Amino acid sequence: MNSSKQLRMTVYTSLFVAFIAIGAFIAIPVGPVPIVLQNMFVLLAAIILGPVWGLSCVAIYLLIGLAGLPVFAGGTSGIGKLFGPTGGYLLGYLPAVFVTAGISKGLGKKMSSDVIAMLIGSLIIYAAGVPWLKVVTSMTYEKALAVGMYPFLIGDALKIIAAAFIAKTLRPVIKL
Amino acid sequence: MQESIIDINAICHTFSDGYIGIKNISVSISKGEFIILAGKNGSGKTTLLRHLNGLLLPDSGIIFVNGQDVSKHLIQTRKTVGMVFQDADTQIVGDTVFDEVAFGLENLKVKRAKINEKVTLILENLNLLHLKDRSPSTLSGGEKRKLAIAGILVMDPEVIMFDEPFSNLDYPGTLQVLSTIIKLNRSGHTIIIATHDVETIICEATRIIIMEKGLIKEDGEPDRIVKYLESYGVKEPCSSKFGLGLQPWLT
Amino acid sequence: MAHVTPFTYRQGQSLLHLLDVRCKFFIICIVSMSLLSAHLPACFFYFLMLLFFFKKSGLNIFATLNSIKYFILLLFFVFIARALTVKGDIIFSFYGISITGQGLNEGFLVAFKFFLVMLTGLLFSTTTQPSSVKSAVQWFLKPIPFVPEKRVAVMISLSLSFMPVILKQAKEISDAQKARCADLQKNPVKKIIRLVLPLLKKTFLSADSLVLAMESRCYSDDRTDPEFLPSGKEIPFLIGSFIISLSLVWL
Repeated sequence: MNSSKQLRMTVYTSLFVAFIAIGAFIAIPVGPVPIVLQNMFVLLAAIILGPVWGLSCVAIYLLIGLAGLPVFAGGTSGIGKLFGPTGGYLLGYLPAVFVTAGISKGLGKKMSSDVIAMLIGSLIIYAAGVPWLKVVTSMTYEKALAVGMYPFLIGDALKIIAAAFIAKTLRPVIKL
Repeated sequence: MQESIIDINAICHTFSDGYIGIKNISVSISKGEFIILAGKNGSGKTTLLRHLNGLLLPDSGIIFVNGQDVSKHLIQTRKTVGMVFQDADTQIVGDTVFDEVAFGLENLKVKRAKINEKVTLILENLNLLHLKDRSPSTLSGGEKRKLAIAGILVMDPEVIMFDEPFSNLDYPGTLQVLSTIIKLNRSGHTIIIATHDVETIICEATRIIIMEKGLIKEDGEPDRIVKYLESYGVKEPCSSKFGLGLQPWLT
Repeated sequence: MAHVTPFTYRQGQSLLHLLDVRCKFFIICIVSMSLLSAHLPACFFYFLMLLFFFKKSGLNIFATLNSIKYFILLLFFVFIARALTVKGDIIFSFYGISITGQGLNEGFLVAFKFFLVMLTGLLFSTTTQPSSVKSAVQWFLKPIPFVPEKRVAVMISLSLSFMPVILKQAKEISDAQKARCADLQKNPVKKIIRLVLPLLKKTFLSADSLVLAMESRCYSDDRTDPEFLPSGKEIPFLIGSFIISLSLVWL
């Protein structure tokens, strides 16, 4: 990879770090639970940046949150948040972004493969987040699922459809 | 005639999508000149500027900066020829004013003590020192543009190029930037300004180059060129229209 | 992003502000770890100490608590969940739901510990400039192989300076759409696309010009190292925090 291309990926990846961070603040009012866009930006980072840059994107996001810059939901940061009740979702972004990017790349960056990749990615986020929530709060699994997953599923489906459209239009614009 | 600093020999550039950027341009620029590069949007001004510090390389032809071939001495060229971009917001790298100015020197691996000394001096000269710990995004438009200039100036360039330096600025901001540019020229810097709105600076310029469709159409002293501006889609300054000649915008 | 994140860095000259950022990092790590195995009296003791430091750094504890109200709500939820599920001596029973003494105790302790770790982090981020956080991250990443710590530091700077720009543009885009009655659009997928797509397009284009600006300022991964300015109080602070950590664990 030549240095100019590498610099471009560096800047694009930083841009997605910023998007994931502010994704926690951008909410679209739909029904009783507003749709927060953070996990959509994680999935978008995966299918647009690819596995390596996507993974470094999420890693840097978590790193600056861990280091005390207020980039987690609600303007919070630090170990307390990362290992707190909802920390599993944040840590789940790491495997999710890698797997999503891998599948999307492997299946050839079509809209249908993007949707499949993002579906699996979302499931990975919940697979990390829900058990974590259960352990920290010592709830039963039924309860943890009822608070930590079911209410968000419809929103997630909508976000995945939107993200697939966005990725399709964006790819030719940014010419990676 | 003064010693020339930039020599452009018959350069052409066609973009990868087939769009022709500039065609067969030859121009020589002397030390200390104050040049306005005028023309409509899409006339090739920005493309030409980007060649002067090696952001784009010509398909044919050759550019010399201080006698050195640009394509073979990129870092040296970029130190000699600084470029201030159109949108100040998108060229800011650092998260404080101080770090933003230090960025270029950090790239050149200058020693930290030297960086601190130089950055402080530049910020003081441009009257930005009191803002050094602020986040650049909180500055006013004029301050941001001055910050962008500081980030270039710290690398001791001989030529400073501006791409539309007055776009999106309010009146005080325009005044700040204008007086900074004039001061830079008086202290010996060669200035090149690409713009489609010449009114603010025409009185300070020593030379106007008009571009259209990737070609240089006119090149000469402002007094002579000013009457041709409108035929190339650039507004003629009011004072000249009313027969008052060129009046300084800064009073 | 001053308006969205209520408790970012506050300027100041207190002891905690001046302490070397690497030292602060280290203290946070060991104190947070030892908090996890601490008992209730030690936690109260530590809480009082935190209050003292908040006061000393000139921060308003109530404004701080207000800024993490959702997190506190979440902790309250954790407390309730624990109180209901932990088995033990029942002190209150209502339609088959029973609250136990052990549950109350344990729930309170867990919630309180999270709260304290959170406050410690807050104290850190309000007294530490983002750019020195970045420098410290770079310093701590240095010994880790295969991690280009200097590039990571640049990426942190970039993303920090992108955030306010993106937020501003998001606001503009949504206002522009409201002005054209976009509120009437009920399809949520379309709502998302109409906000996010222009936002991404616009910021990616400005990212392209940022790449040019960085190139023209000679960007390189091999850069000057950041500097740290120790205040001279690091050793006593480190010793102090060791004592606190030990007493948290043993008390």
